[in-house]
Amino acid sequence: MPRPLRSVRGVLLFVLFKAMLNRMEAGQRWGRRCRRLILILAALFCTTPAFAGRIVTDQTGRRVRIPDRPTRLVSLAPSITETLFMLGLGDQVVGDTDYCEYPVEAKLKPHVGSILNPSLERIVSLRPDLVLGSPEANRRETAERLERLGIPLYGVTARTVDEMLASIDDLGKVLHREEEASRLVDGLRQRVEAAAHRVGNRKPPRVLFVVWYRPLTTAGANTFVSDVIRRAGGEPISHGLQGEWPKLSLEEALRLDPDVILFPRSESFSPGLEEFHSLPGWRDFRAVKTRRLYVVSDAIIRSSPRLVDALEEVARVLHPSEADKVGAKP
Amino acid sequence: MIIAATRRNAWIVTAALAAGVIVVSLSALAFGSVHLGLVDVWSGLRGTTPKAEVAVIVKEIRLPRVLLAILVGAALATSGTALQALLRNPLADPYVLGISSGAALGAIVALWVGGRAAAASPLAAFVGALATTMWVYLLGRRAGRLASYTLVLAGVVTASFLSAVILFVLTMLSTRDVRGMAFWLMGDLSVVTNVQLQILFPIVVMGVAGLYALSKDLNVLLLGEEEAAHLGVNVARIQTAVYLLASLLTGVAVALSGAIGYLGLLVPHLARMLVGSDHRMLLPTAALGGSIVLVLSDTLARTAVAPSELPVGAVTAVAGAPVFIYLLRRTAG
Repeated sequence: MPRPLRSVRGVLLFVLFKAMLNRMEAGQRWGRRCRRLILILAALFCTTPAFAGRIVTDQTGRRVRIPDRPTRLVSLAPSITETLFMLGLGDQVVGDTDYCEYPVEAKLKPHVGSILNPSLERIVSLRPDLVLGSPEANRRETAERLERLGIPLYGVTARTVDEMLASIDDLGKVLHREEEASRLVDGLRQRVEAAAHRVGNRKPPRVLFVVWYRPLTTAGANTFVSDVIRRAGGEPISHGLQGEWPKLSLEEALRLDPDVILFPRSESFSPGLEEFHSLPGWRDFRAVKTRRLYVVSDAIIRSSPRLVDALEEVARVLHPSEADKVGAKP
Repeated sequence: MIIAATRRNAWIVTAALAAGVIVVSLSALAFGSVHLGLVDVWSGLRGTTPKAEVAVIVKEIRLPRVLLAILVGAALATSGTALQALLRNPLADPYVLGISSGAALGAIVALWVGGRAAAASPLAAFVGALATTMWVYLLGRRAGRLASYTLVLAGVVTASFLSAVILFVLTMLSTRDVRGMAFWLMGDLSVVTNVQLQILFPIVVMGVAGLYALSKDLNVLLLGEEEAAHLGVNVARIQTAVYLLASLLTGVAVALSGAIGYLGLLVPHLARMLVGSDHRMLLPTAALGGSIVLVLSDTLARTAVAPSELPVGAVTAVAGAPVFIYLLRRTAG
């Protein structure tokens, strides 16, 4: 709604309230006229749900003014798109990125471009009343430009499994899907606890997570990837490594001597685990010699609800016999 | 191969190029990842469109970008032309003296130290450019005069040293900052505020006008320093003025748009083919030509992989290198 109209409505509301108050003060009983006033008021509120909006603090600590009931959402990260669909908000997503491939319906939404360099004008043309982005995925410049255009941007972030679950709850509140969110979170939490229970007190194998091998890039100690590995009964060897995706020297990795090496599934990795048996340096890993290299779901590098799928998969990989026993139960 | 145009023809070329800038800029407003007709663009510009999003796209997203391309294109091409004359080196471009590396280091250090205060980075980039300019200037002086070979060598070595420092600092930055930096380093016109445009505009106009005022002296300088001195030109003063003006133009351009390669090298050569090497004609031609080339390149950058966008520096480099080789072969043959 254009600004002049909004202020006109503000004046109108004020006058109506004043009239009602005067009536009440004068001790008049609630007559027909007053009821009509209420009806008009209700109509004013209902037809314009975005009235002035509300100011909220997003998950990154930014203060942002968002509509009371956002109905046209643009997601700038695959993890956010997945969460929105799981909260039953798929219909309200009017745009997402080229990389939003899950669920399948997300692929059919109009795309606004890549995660790092989305088209601002494409976003504007979709007339969103709320854009959701993540500091882990998007560029700061994108956030600044959206702010300058007056398009509300809600920041979503999670560095642990718990924060991912809290993030879903928070989105549920902001987007009026509390029930769906708490149902989803309860289910996920149960599965996380079940996985922890299954793994029990078994000795955690020491795990090297490889995002990319040339140069060797791993997940930092304080990331959801490391958290998933810990909860799945493993011990990531990236203690003390700061940042999201720090580099680790090959010789240091060899010295740390991981029991298991994990790779996220990707187009470049899926075919060639065999390659590491002949790669200098890599073939000397005990984990390579004992063939404890695994490719796991790429959901492990996205802080979406499917992170729990990845957690279960990692738990099965790290503690195969235990998981098999559980799986064999009727 | 160089066509020595008569003055009248040259004026016609200048007028045609000025018209070209306007036509190219208006059509650039019609291209983008969202399809808009010419009617939409016109009504969007005038603010009469009923569709709010069309007005936002035209006025707040595309227009600042086109204006930035016009200013940066003119700045880089003018600066390149002047430096080629100053250094008497056809390979000189605005970056040969290490200015862009200095600007990049400034911006990166600001990110490293200041973190989230990203708004400070154009200013830091400009300070970096200025500091490098002064440093190279001091290195390039011999007996009170700028020695052009010393200056070029000092610039090249400083640039490579600064690039090494940049790589060092980049490894210390978090992934998120590096992503933004990478776009900026490749040349990116997408992030500009109206205030920045308002600051850039007078600086570019003054810089181009200043160099234009020195165009006769640039002509004389091309003959050689001794000859120029014999002709009564205060060589040391002219050199310093040209050097500082060219650096100022490059510094503000890099601070707002990163390092956009090949433009400052190629456009002066194209302009010379059009109007000859009289700087009174050459400088305006190069400035207008630079604007046209950069607006066209950025339009390509915005549309080639729509809805994503390319950094415009990638477009100018990919297109610029082959064109330069073609020109080289043609003039050599």
